[in-house]
Amino acid sequence: MNLLKAPEGARLALMGNEAIARGLVEAGVSVVSGYPGTPSSEVIATLHEFGAGSEIYVEWAVNERVAFEIAYGASIGGVRAAVTMKAPGASVALDPIVSSAYGGVEGGLMVLVADDPGPHTTQTEQDDRWLGFLAKLPVLSPSSPQEAKDIVVASFDLSEEVKLPVILRTTTRVNHTVGDVVLGPIRRIKRVPQIQKDVPRFVRAGMLWNLERHRWLNNQLSVVEEVFDRVSPVRNSVEGSSRLCVVTEGAAYNYVAEVLREVGGDVRVVKLVLLYPPPKKFLSEALDGCERILVVEELDPYLELVVRYTLSELGRNAAVYGKSSKHVPMEGELSTKIVRKALLSALLTDKASQEASETSGPSQLKIAARPPPMCPGCPHRNMYVALLMGISRAGFRRGEVPVFGDIGCYALGVQPPLEAIWTEHSMGASISMAMGLKVAGYEKPVVAVIGDSTFFHAGIQPLIEAVHKQVDILVVIADNSIVAMTGHQSTPAWSTVESGRKTKPIDIESIVKAVGVNHLEAVDPYDIDSTVKAFERLLRKPGVKVLISKHPCALVEARHRGVEVRYGVVEDRCTGCLACIRVTGCPAIYFDGSKARIDGEDCLGCGLCARFCPYGAIEVVSSG
Amino acid sequence: MGGQGGLTLSRTLAAAAVLEGFSVRTGETLGMSQRFGSVVSYVRIGDRVLSPTFSDGGADFILGLELVETARTLKLLKPGGVVVASDAVKPPVSASLSREFCDKKKLLETIGSAASTVVVVPARRLATGAGNPRAANMVILGAFYTLQNTLSADSIRRAISEVVPSKWLESSLRAFELGVSYLRRA
Repeated sequence: MNLLKAPEGARLALMGNEAIARGLVEAGVSVVSGYPGTPSSEVIATLHEFGAGSEIYVEWAVNERVAFEIAYGASIGGVRAAVTMKAPGASVALDPIVSSAYGGVEGGLMVLVADDPGPHTTQTEQDDRWLGFLAKLPVLSPSSPQEAKDIVVASFDLSEEVKLPVILRTTTRVNHTVGDVVLGPIRRIKRVPQIQKDVPRFVRAGMLWNLERHRWLNNQLSVVEEVFDRVSPVRNSVEGSSRLCVVTEGAAYNYVAEVLREVGGDVRVVKLVLLYPPPKKFLSEALDGCERILVVEELDPYLELVVRYTLSELGRNAAVYGKSSKHVPMEGELSTKIVRKALLSALLTDKASQEASETSGPSQLKIAARPPPMCPGCPHRNMYVALLMGISRAGFRRGEVPVFGDIGCYALGVQPPLEAIWTEHSMGASISMAMGLKVAGYEKPVVAVIGDSTFFHAGIQPLIEAVHKQVDILVVIADNSIVAMTGHQSTPAWSTVESGRKTKPIDIESIVKAVGVNHLEAVDPYDIDSTVKAFERLLRKPGVKVLISKHPCALVEARHRGVEVRYGVVEDRCTGCLACIRVTGCPAIYFDGSKARIDGEDCLGCGLCARFCPYGAIEVVSSG
Repeated sequence: MGGQGGLTLSRTLAAAAVLEGFSVRTGETLGMSQRFGSVVSYVRIGDRVLSPTFSDGGADFILGLELVETARTLKLLKPGGVVVASDAVKPPVSASLSREFCDKKKLLETIGSAASTVVVVPARRLATGAGNPRAANMVILGAFYTLQNTLSADSIRRAISEVVPSKWLESSLRAFELGVSYLRRA
């Protein structure tokens, strides 16, 4: 069943991000932009997968700020628009997001920011609920896929009525949870974009205008709670009337509700959906008569501060527990176990005997960790092997040539045995940080490794900076022609994108040439010997050197072309020296106690292991 | 292990549960290049479930697609819980690098000591017989089906057809049936 076209009332198992995509369609959105980032990527991917023939403009943008500005431009033209990003993406887009609060919107504008308590797949546990206070924009938080869908629809009505972008702030356990979702009606909103020239509103150059718009903004914020209550089917809610009280929101609510169901006990549960501006009227009533309040939330003590501030404004006294009292941890994601402990120790002290005793569990075998490696056949592996060999051949030690990494699959080169990168920081930072070390006076060569999509996203300006200042660095653009890590999205180098739209491919090599780097070479890292030689040559040269290491993502290549050859181990010749694994770290090679083994279906046929087997024990065993 | 179809498996269970009228939640690790990394999907089915994960000792069943990873997740199993696992053993790179040998017998002993019932299925062999070695997840689903009373075969088959791309649908359904009959015969 096509979840974007399925009728009102249908009940489907949908992932949170699919529910959000359905919500966008139900809300009659016209323009959706974004940049891939876990856990937000499946919203746009779902619109692509199931939206064929739709009139909605849905495209990945080159980065989050461009994505936001595209959506904002559409929205001041009066159509409904949305933009999706992960937490660090919100920081990339922060400049235009903050300014947009002063101009405001015409068509509804929803900004999905997906945070990642855990963190599972993000650099930091950045808490984007603070965007409310920082950017002065309404922030809404769902606790389930169903709520996410319904709140998406409401966010557009709220946005249009208060004329502000609305932030839908989710966490991984909402985005990536599959839940039962009942679909709503699809609103057909057909608007012809029109833009009114309104200089004080949309031109931020005039400081007096800006002061005036700031007053306007604060005035708009003062009515958000009332409008939200009217337009959203998912409201701030309070269950029970006990003097013992929990305040919670989002995914944390689920743990609270389930723990209370298990342990029993009379506890008032106050659940917020509108996180900014803090719903003062609601909280004033919901917290009336509360004596002990436990705030259960993930990441920062945001709600805790809101609750303390609200109580103090109201002149009420209550004991507030949460992160500051150490009942709820400051880091990591919550679980029923953690929430149970917090509830029993802060509120339900008479039931503390129900605290699950720490069981030792079944006898545990010591099991080696299995962090995500680079896939079999991954061209980044070949690039790193060649880089490390090139460093030696150029006369340097591995330990004196720092390799600044960047964000993408190639960051997995940090794992043993390659341990190739020294840093992975933020999008595009490989080049600028390498430059920083060099201008500080570091004498040995420095290397930056950046992927193709990351180069488009945030690598071009750092390259301009390095060329302009003529710094000696080697930049490797690991070009696999796709955004691989987040699930294979398009890059600006594509000529047809997911929506089916024909696009003009942007050529990385031409950009690099236009910037004026001192030396530029391009290699196919599957040709390992040429790649080693290229590294050796470039590491000895002065100025800004760029090596484009270009080979398609092996998974995509296998999907499109099939696997041409696969390798296997000739048992008689294998001595179990493990050179194959030590050089490549390829996860398709297994150690069976005495010999290496390659499982046929895992190998994608790059042949790197065979190239480095000293005994010729790895051979092609099948074609395809 | 990432890439073995665990996500499809949990998604199919969720879809089948919804077809049966249940409330469902799954908690996934996805969206990062997780191929060959440890991956756990939580699936919760009930009259009204809310949280997508559960704590140690919370699982009635563990469905394993590889034995090292199955052993890794045993702490999630309830006392008296059931393990249905593929017989595949794929040691992690970190084990191989330190010449640590992942002995199948030891893994099975560990699993056996934690579960009341352990069913080990030659999932890859059966899936290959069904025409798609990658459908080992559907073999496991078939074996699991015979050990529970919550989801009907009909709902599971319909769920498979909702979740699995049409190109792989026939072989997936065949793999499911082979999983069912493997257990029925055994």
